[in-house]
Amino acid sequence: MFSAELFTQTLIAGLMIGVLYALMALGITFIYSIVRMINWAMGEFYMLGSYIQYVVVAHALGRDLWWLAVIISTAGTFLVGYLLQPILIKPMYARAMERRDDYATVVTIALLLMLRSLAVVIGGPNQFRPETNLPVMWVGPLPMEGARVAASVCALLALGVFYLVISRTWIGLALRAMAQNRVAAQTSGVDVFRLDAMAFAIGVALAGLAGALLAPLFLVYPTNGAVATVKGFEIIVIGGLGSIPGALIGGLLLGVVESLGAGFISSSYQNAYGFLLVLLVLLVRPYGLFGERGREA
Amino acid sequence: MNRRVVLGTIAAALTVAASAASAQEPMVFGVITPLSPPGETALGQQVKRGSEIAVEYINEKGGVLGRKVVLSIHDTAGKNEAGVAAYRRLVSNEKAVAVFGFIHSGVNIAVNEVAKEMGVPTMGTQTGAGDVTAKRYDIAFRTHAVDPPRAATWLGWAKKNGFKRLSILAETTDYGIGLAKATEAQNKSMNLGMDIQTIMFDRTTTDLLPQLLQVKAFKPDAIINVGVGQPLDLMITQATTVGLLPTVPMVTSYDAPGRPQHWQLHKEQGVGVHFIAFYTQKSKLSDVGEWFVKKYQEKYNEPPIYSALNGFANALVFAQAIEMAKTTEPKALIKALETGSFKGWSSVPVTFPQAEGALWHNWSPPLMILKYNKVNQTQADAEVAYTLGDN
Repeated sequence: MFSAELFTQTLIAGLMIGVLYALMALGITFIYSIVRMINWAMGEFYMLGSYIQYVVVAHALGRDLWWLAVIISTAGTFLVGYLLQPILIKPMYARAMERRDDYATVVTIALLLMLRSLAVVIGGPNQFRPETNLPVMWVGPLPMEGARVAASVCALLALGVFYLVISRTWIGLALRAMAQNRVAAQTSGVDVFRLDAMAFAIGVALAGLAGALLAPLFLVYPTNGAVATVKGFEIIVIGGLGSIPGALIGGLLLGVVESLGAGFISSSYQNAYGFLLVLLVLLVRPYGLFGERGREA
Repeated sequence: MNRRVVLGTIAAALTVAASAASAQEPMVFGVITPLSPPGETALGQQVKRGSEIAVEYINEKGGVLGRKVVLSIHDTAGKNEAGVAAYRRLVSNEKAVAVFGFIHSGVNIAVNEVAKEMGVPTMGTQTGAGDVTAKRYDIAFRTHAVDPPRAATWLGWAKKNGFKRLSILAETTDYGIGLAKATEAQNKSMNLGMDIQTIMFDRTTTDLLPQLLQVKAFKPDAIINVGVGQPLDLMITQATTVGLLPTVPMVTSYDAPGRPQHWQLHKEQGVGVHFIAFYTQKSKLSDVGEWFVKKYQEKYNEPPIYSALNGFANALVFAQAIEMAKTTEPKALIKALETGSFKGWSSVPVTFPQAEGALWHNWSPPLMILKYNKVNQTQADAEVAYTLGDN
């Protein structure tokens, strides 16, 4: 039965979760733009961020400094990405590999399995929840966990900061140059290998940030990144691979469609509504709402 | 002639040696259980612990048919295909004589489709969906409550409390769908006249807010939480956020809140939660049941919960059945299981009647609803809010 109040509440819930999905998608699309590879282990960096958040809150800082733990989790995920990239990803370019896409797929799936298994062995099978000191808040007519409101606000802030870094800093300029033409950027004196590592680390840090923010809501366990990965890939298809505005709009659209579908059609098929949206976009605009038709020489 | 005698003697000697070797070979019991997410890993861990202690007990008593028993444990992560692959490996490669440990009904049902061809009997340790045994396969056994008595328990509890409107949130698995249908069917067949709202959700969903907003709009007197593992806990958390808990009582469909993890995850939010339980520290145990409880407490520094008890009992039941049949041959073992009476953890002996429907080859534990009234309360101290048959 339709009710305006239920519609508003469901819409707000969808928009808030959509912002968080967009963070995941942004990480995937950013890595693709610069390094020209799909990182299939993004969900595991999300998972890593959530575990660091739990460990830091539960065993070091406590619930009152949850926000500091988020910063530490993001930095920790960044560091792991920065250290792994030269070992796993750099050979793709350094050795002038022919089948780079296949290499990237195999390596990142292997990384996915390794990180997930490590989580099971180290963390065990149980679920955890890092606390926050945030009370329940009202967003319009909807009571929301304080952690969810904070997560959405932080995600928007992170997206804003990311945009500023990319558009207003030298590193952002260099990264954009690499995205446009890697060879030309390298010829111009940009250290593309160092920036590859930076881009990879930034991309996975965004996933880690999403994991840390969502940990109090969706719990911490070894496969909590799996669904986030699927959502991320849905969004980059909807929004367009390599498009930052596309990641945000795609995330919001996906969150709203899933939420409204579950609320007013049938909740059994909540995940299916997102896939239907993906199919629709592929039919109408195969390169995504904000994507560009690619050309390869 | 001499050559024939010699060859025949050699062949006979080899046969005797082979059977002697196989008689000394350990007997393999297969355990197929979830040990990693998205499966219900906490219960899987309990089953693993219980079955390991059972094997220690069995071997201390001299093994089965003079042979040592070993466990081969396989993780399904709650996935049907992983369970099927594990069963095939256990029976074909490892020569397992018995397979148990199932927590997820979907896995048990999928495995039984293969087991009916391969012949080695299976035992559902904590699988509730009717179809695990309702198909009346010879190989299918279960030591757990099926959908109808479970639904009867919370409907009886609701009736006792005068509730008229119930919301059921159930995952779209064999388990969830079965329980939702059983609840609706019994409401009708028993003329309870309750207004039931049924909402199904995908168990991989990470956000139940849209569903809970619908529940809130329905204004139920009680909520039945038919999630397993992560969705169960997510529902408790998010129901509190939208203002449903603690005002509207919630019953979980199995005893997940009985674990210490409940308080680590929920703290004050866990107070007031009701849950279906099959065992409390006040339940009457058999002598081996009491031995097990003591042994488990010594080993793990915490009391066992139902899953551990059932994992222990499943191994013991199979051992007793093999001793009764005097062989591990599957058909004879199945016959022994059908006709025998076995000692499990409960003071009530375990039997597997050839009954109708889901009660085929099924032994059901006693059913009750427990309620937590304060933080960090243990299952032993929880209030018994209802016992099946009370009204």
